[in-house]
Amino acid sequence: MMSAELLMLVGGIVGFMVTLYWVRKREIREKWCVPWLALAVLLLFFGSFPDVVMAIATWARLSYATAVLAVSLTIIYFFAFSVTVSLSRQYHRNLRLTQEVALLEQRLRHIEECQKHRIET
Amino acid sequence: MTTPLETFEWLKLRGHRLSGTVFHGPCTFDTHVVLLIEEERKKDRGTCSLVACVQDIPHYQMKTLILIPAFNEEEAIDGCIKSLLDNYDYDILVVNDGSTDETLKIVSALSSHHPRVKFISLICNVGIGGAIQAGFLYATRHNYCMTVQFDGDGQHDVNSLAGIISYAEVNQLDLCIGSRFCNLETDNFLSTPLRRLGIRFFAALIGMLTGTRVTDPTSGYRVYSKAATQLFSRYYPDDYPEPEALFFCVRNGLNVGEFPVRMHERQGGISSIRYFKTLYYMIKVTVAILIDRLRRKEVQ
Repeated sequence: MMSAELLMLVGGIVGFMVTLYWVRKREIREKWCVPWLALAVLLLFFGSFPDVVMAIATWARLSYATAVLAVSLTIIYFFAFSVTVSLSRQYHRNLRLTQEVALLEQRLRHIEECQKHRIET
Repeated sequence: MTTPLETFEWLKLRGHRLSGTVFHGPCTFDTHVVLLIEEERKKDRGTCSLVACVQDIPHYQMKTLILIPAFNEEEAIDGCIKSLLDNYDYDILVVNDGSTDETLKIVSALSSHHPRVKFISLICNVGIGGAIQAGFLYATRHNYCMTVQFDGDGQHDVNSLAGIISYAEVNQLDLCIGSRFCNLETDNFLSTPLRRLGIRFFAALIGMLTGTRVTDPTSGYRVYSKAATQLFSRYYPDDYPEPEALFFCVRNGLNVGEFPVRMHERQGGISSIRYFKTLYYMIKVTVAILIDRLRRKEVQ
C-alpha cells in the first residue's frame, strides 16, 4: 500500500517535472512557475521528512490525515486567491484594451471620413 | 450672443472668483450651452483667473455629449436616436457593447447620415459599466463639458433632457440623477413592485451610510459634469454600476442631486436583470457599496 509520504514524494516529483515542462514550452510565465516549484519542493520536503507533518499535527492537535488536509487546503486557498487577484487585474487590462481599440477604431473611421470628404470636395 | 463683460459678470454670479480676465471676442451661452471658460488656479493667492474666452479656442468649447450604451437594442435604438436628433443639437455617442443583433448596423447607418451621431464599437460584450466608461473616455478626450447617460431602449423621456441638463448646470452638480420618484405623475412608468423594493433598499442603504437622500439610485438617466466624467473615465464600477457610482460620488464629496424625469416602458430588448440575476444584483451591489464605505476619500 502506498503511504502518504510516498504519495507526497511522487506528487512533488511529478509537480516539479510538469511545471518545468510547461515553463520550457512558455505556456506558463516564469513569474507563476516559482510558486508551483515551491509547492513541488514543499511536497518533496514533507514526503522526505514526515516527522515535520507529525509535529504540525501534534502542535495543532490534529490527526496526521487532518493535518495533511489542512496544509493542502491552506496551499490551495492561497493559490486560488492569487489566481483571483491575477484574473481581476487581467480583467481591468482587457477592458481598457477593448475600450482603447474601440476608441482608436472610431478615430480612424473619423480620419478616413475626413479624407474622403476632402477628396470629394 | 453676450459681451465679454456680461460673461464675466455672469460667471462671478455663479461663484467663480475671477481676476485678470483676457477675452478674445464675444461669447455665447445660455442655460444649455454654457461656461466657456478655462480657469487657472493661482495657489499662492488662492484666486482664479479667467485665462481666455474659450469660444475662440474650439478645443475647449462647452459641449454636451449624450452617451447611449447599447447592447442588442435593434428594436428601439433607431427611434431613440431620431427623437434626440429632432429635439436637440447635442452630439450623440452610441457605445455598441458587442451587440449580436443589428444594433451596430442601424447606428452606423444613422451616423453616416447625421454627423452629430458618433459611435464606438467594443469588440466584445464588456457589460454596461465598461461601455459607459468607454463613453467617458471619449468625452474626456474630446473635451465635452457635460455627459448625459441615456438609455437606448426608449425608457428615458427625451422631453426631460433639457430640464435635467439645465438643473445640473444651474446647480453645478457633478452628478444629477433623473428620478422617476421625485415628482410622481400618473403616466410615469415606475418599474415593477419587486424592482421598486430594490430601489427603496438601495436608497435607504445609501441614505444610512452617507446621510444623502436619493429616491432613484438605480436610474441610468444621469448627467455628469466634466470633473465627474474625467473621474469616471479612470474608474467606473463594472456590473450594475449606478448605485455604486452614486455612492462613490457622495462619499467623495461631489455635488449630487436629483431631477424629476418621466420614464416609459422599455420599447424593445431584454433587461439584463432577470431571474436569479436580481438576487445576484442585490447582493453584489450591497457588498460593493459596503466595501466602498471602507475606502478613503479618493477625490481632493
